[in-house]
Amino acid sequence: MKKLIDLTLNDFKLIYRTPSLRAFLVMPGIIFIVVLVLLPMLVENFPSVEPYLPPILIVATFELTQMFGFIYCMVLIEEKETAVAKIYGVLPVSKIGFVLARLFIPTLITTVLTFILLEAQTFYPVAVVPNLVFSLIAGLLVPVYILGISVLAKNRMAGMVWIKVFNIAVVIPVIAFFIPQRFTPLFGIFPTHWPYQGFFSLLEGEAFLWQLIIGLFYLGGLLVIAVRKFALSHFV
Amino acid sequence: MIKVNGLSFTYPGTDAPTLKALNFDIKRGEIFGFLGPSGAGKSTTQKIMYKILHHFEGEVLIDDKPLSKWGKEYYARIGVGFELPNHYLKLTARENMALFASFYPKKQIQDIPQLFEMVGLEADIDKKVEAYSKGMKMRLNFIRALLHNPEILFFDEPTAGLDPMNAKKIREHIIQLKNQGKTIFITTHNMYTADELCDRVSFIVDGALQITEPPATLKHNYGRDVVRVDLEDKQSAEFPLQGLGQNPQFLAFLNQAPLLRINTLEATLEEVFLQVTGKALKI
Repeated sequence: MKKLIDLTLNDFKLIYRTPSLRAFLVMPGIIFIVVLVLLPMLVENFPSVEPYLPPILIVATFELTQMFGFIYCMVLIEEKETAVAKIYGVLPVSKIGFVLARLFIPTLITTVLTFILLEAQTFYPVAVVPNLVFSLIAGLLVPVYILGISVLAKNRMAGMVWIKVFNIAVVIPVIAFFIPQRFTPLFGIFPTHWPYQGFFSLLEGEAFLWQLIIGLFYLGGLLVIAVRKFALSHFV
Repeated sequence: MIKVNGLSFTYPGTDAPTLKALNFDIKRGEIFGFLGPSGAGKSTTQKIMYKILHHFEGEVLIDDKPLSKWGKEYYARIGVGFELPNHYLKLTARENMALFASFYPKKQIQDIPQLFEMVGLEADIDKKVEAYSKGMKMRLNFIRALLHNPEILFFDEPTAGLDPMNAKKIREHIIQLKNQGKTIFITTHNMYTADELCDRVSFIVDGALQITEPPATLKHNYGRDVVRVDLEDKQSAEFPLQGLGQNPQFLAFLNQAPLLRINTLEATLEEVFLQVTGKALKI
């Protein structure tokens, strides 16, 4: 527990002392303002926006994952670039345990923020249990995103490119809401497709749990692969 | 303490092996060195020994226990001084040390300010590492390896990037560590470092060990046991070391003109390296 706290404090020190990363910490605040203040005003003044609320809400919620996704990618890639990662490779800690401990707090914070946002939004009532499942899926996206990019990117420049690619992959399943339904399953290859569809079904009062469960397992599987790949490549 | 038998390693995606059937052993309390040019396989060997690279062939035993059988407790016994400075630049030097200290058992941790004092960084302990020069960062690398008072130390080019004064200090500290009973494995392409520090040195070229001997033995075996005498009138001559004091020709030569210098013609490690391997050290 003490190691987890030390690591988290250290990460927050690094983030706070890097202006570009510190600026990113305001992102959830912006999303909260958009969803809780601007979106209601928009709907009130332009009722034609209302049918598009579910996809807007879904994408806005998943954008919450981008804050820690981006910040921690940069921290880990810099660690690799400056060879600090090698030091962790020769410490008396389990590599996989270290990775999981390191990403626990950003995952937890993202889950909590997602839960609060869905509780606080005034458009649709969302029961606590589905909200928790959905928030957990959103939270799980954070370590998959961070580890995936950190494995693929050799330096910060490459990291920025991969972040763009991953951002697109996170958002692209929203297209499924605007195309004929028979083409929707094509987007199932993207892990965020399942929570998007599940959340939409939830808002529409349809069966949603199975889609959320697929999303949970999909992201869980990706997380296992990402942790293993990361543990093999990051400390060398 | 450390035994290596038939160690071979090939990096994934390459055909040629980086290490070819290395055999060596390191005794407890010994400073053992790998001397070789860049790309010879020195760092790769160390990376295998501190378990960063896996899937090697052969056998590595630490206290008669195969390396693969050692768990994370192995890392509490070893300290690694990396070749290049690697620190969190946005953190102070003290914060860097404190963070890594938190991973070791408390009873093992040495007094951090004292370590800084040891390498002359006490005035800079609370400066962010980004404000450090390369030499300061290397000294920080050095004391980080000692932070948890390990029994076995791996130093990869321990004096690289240091000015002569600090390089000398680091060499003195390494000798002190040996005197405390630490087992030390150094890789270097710097013959002075190898010559001054190592009890035994192995020459490594293209992933293969050529010879392992104490530096003094190598210099003796490959050098010439003669002295060269230069006089101020530009005359010079060589005389065998044996019986030098009773050699009438030597004594007569000294009386011919004022003496300029007398040198032994012992080989340097670099010359021995060239003779043994056919390759120059500084590639």
